[in-house]
Amino acid sequence: MERKTINKRKRVFSLQPNKNPKAVFARRYASHLVPALNKINMNKPTSKKDHKSFEQTVKHEVGMALALSAQEFAWGRFLQHKLLSPTHEDPSYSSKILERSDYKQEGEEEEAEIKKRLKELQKLLPGGEEMNMDEMLSEIGSYIVCLELQMIVLKSLVQDNSS
Amino acid sequence: MDLYIPEKLKWLQQQQMVSPEFLQILGSGGREELKRVESYLGNTNDELQSFRHFPEFGPDYNVIDGCISRTSSFQMEPVKNDEVNRAISFQNKRKPEGKTEKREKKKIKTEAETETSMKGKSNMSNTETSSEIQKPDYIHVRARRGEATDRHSLAERARREKISKKMKCLQDIVPGCTKVTGKAGMLDEIINYVQSLQQQVEFLSMKLSVLNPELEFHINELSTKQAYFADLPEAVSKQSVMADLQSFPLHQQGSLDYSVINSSQTTSLGIVIIFLLDKTKIIIPKQIVTCP
Repeated sequence: MERKTINKRKRVFSLQPNKNPKAVFARRYASHLVPALNKINMNKPTSKKDHKSFEQTVKHEVGMALALSAQEFAWGRFLQHKLLSPTHEDPSYSSKILERSDYKQEGEEEEAEIKKRLKELQKLLPGGEEMNMDEMLSEIGSYIVCLELQMIVLKSLVQDNSS
Repeated sequence: MDLYIPEKLKWLQQQQMVSPEFLQILGSGGREELKRVESYLGNTNDELQSFRHFPEFGPDYNVIDGCISRTSSFQMEPVKNDEVNRAISFQNKRKPEGKTEKREKKKIKTEAETETSMKGKSNMSNTETSSEIQKPDYIHVRARRGEATDRHSLAERARREKISKKMKCLQDIVPGCTKVTGKAGMLDEIINYVQSLQQQVEFLSMKLSVLNPELEFHINELSTKQAYFADLPEAVSKQSVMADLQSFPLHQQGSLDYSVINSSQTTSLGIVIIFLLDKTKIIIPKQIVTCP
């Protein structure tokens, strides 16, 4: 795709760039991710062997961009800390939750179901384990919206650069 | 409200629920006392306003009574029954509401506070300072008729209502949630949605890592075609023209190159309304922009 010449004098600016939080997030996200990707590109060693680690670096950068653009939310801060500290997750973690459903009583089955699902939801949200239910539900909303925006930005990055 | 209090005191005396000591307290620093108490009870609420028209009406007295009686360890039960009966009889006169509602407050630190204020009975300044110190964080819960009114179930109910409120907000965010009813089903939907979003992000980042080595990224060329949100809540005015988003590059500060807009042949009537990624509309008369 050829670069278009940009005429700065005729640039159009948004009158209220910070009004819509979705736009703010998306802009921040793109501004974090793209330079990071460029930097990876430049620093990339020419060998093709470590494609996996390259993938991981990209994933890491994607996650960092998300965390940095969502500093207002608890999950964003938590995600940032998690990514910055080099710990590895236990992959068998998620399977353990389903085994506890044996002892629930009949009358409270519905509530136990709900509780089980809330716990699962907690696992999905970064930092969800340390929050109580109320907090978690509010954070989940913002997390979902930010994930959607992230998807939009990523899709457009991929599409633009693959054509 | 000052007319109110002596009547209340009389009523309390009649009910013999209050020890004479307390009346002394009420007499001296009583007004502040009761005022404070009533503010805890959400006195400014509309509900209670309707009570005010019936000075002989029991409930608000009862409630205050309730808080008094707790500290002096009086019983509350007989008073409650009366109140329910009276509630029935006054039902017609009330503002139109579904059920009669009994007001009951959950107090977290009631005993301690009113005790300290009782101790300061002789000293007006004492009560005032204690009123400054106590800044209680009461949870005001309304117990409906026929439901349990003890603290724990009230707390449970308050919690549940909060959670259901939040679930409703989530329903708006997560698409396809409206068909499913019930908490469990909705939570299922939400979980699936979040998982699918996360998987998609992973997939896209993988794709990106494949493409990355070959191409340079230019933020200027980031197109906004997917940025058009299908569910724009704001109504678009009739004269607005949605600029073609397909070829718009999104710049870092949220600005667009006007030359690109110009070339997309969607301008009309001298007004360009641009939907950027943010839904703020910019109405720019053509003349102004083209002048250097």
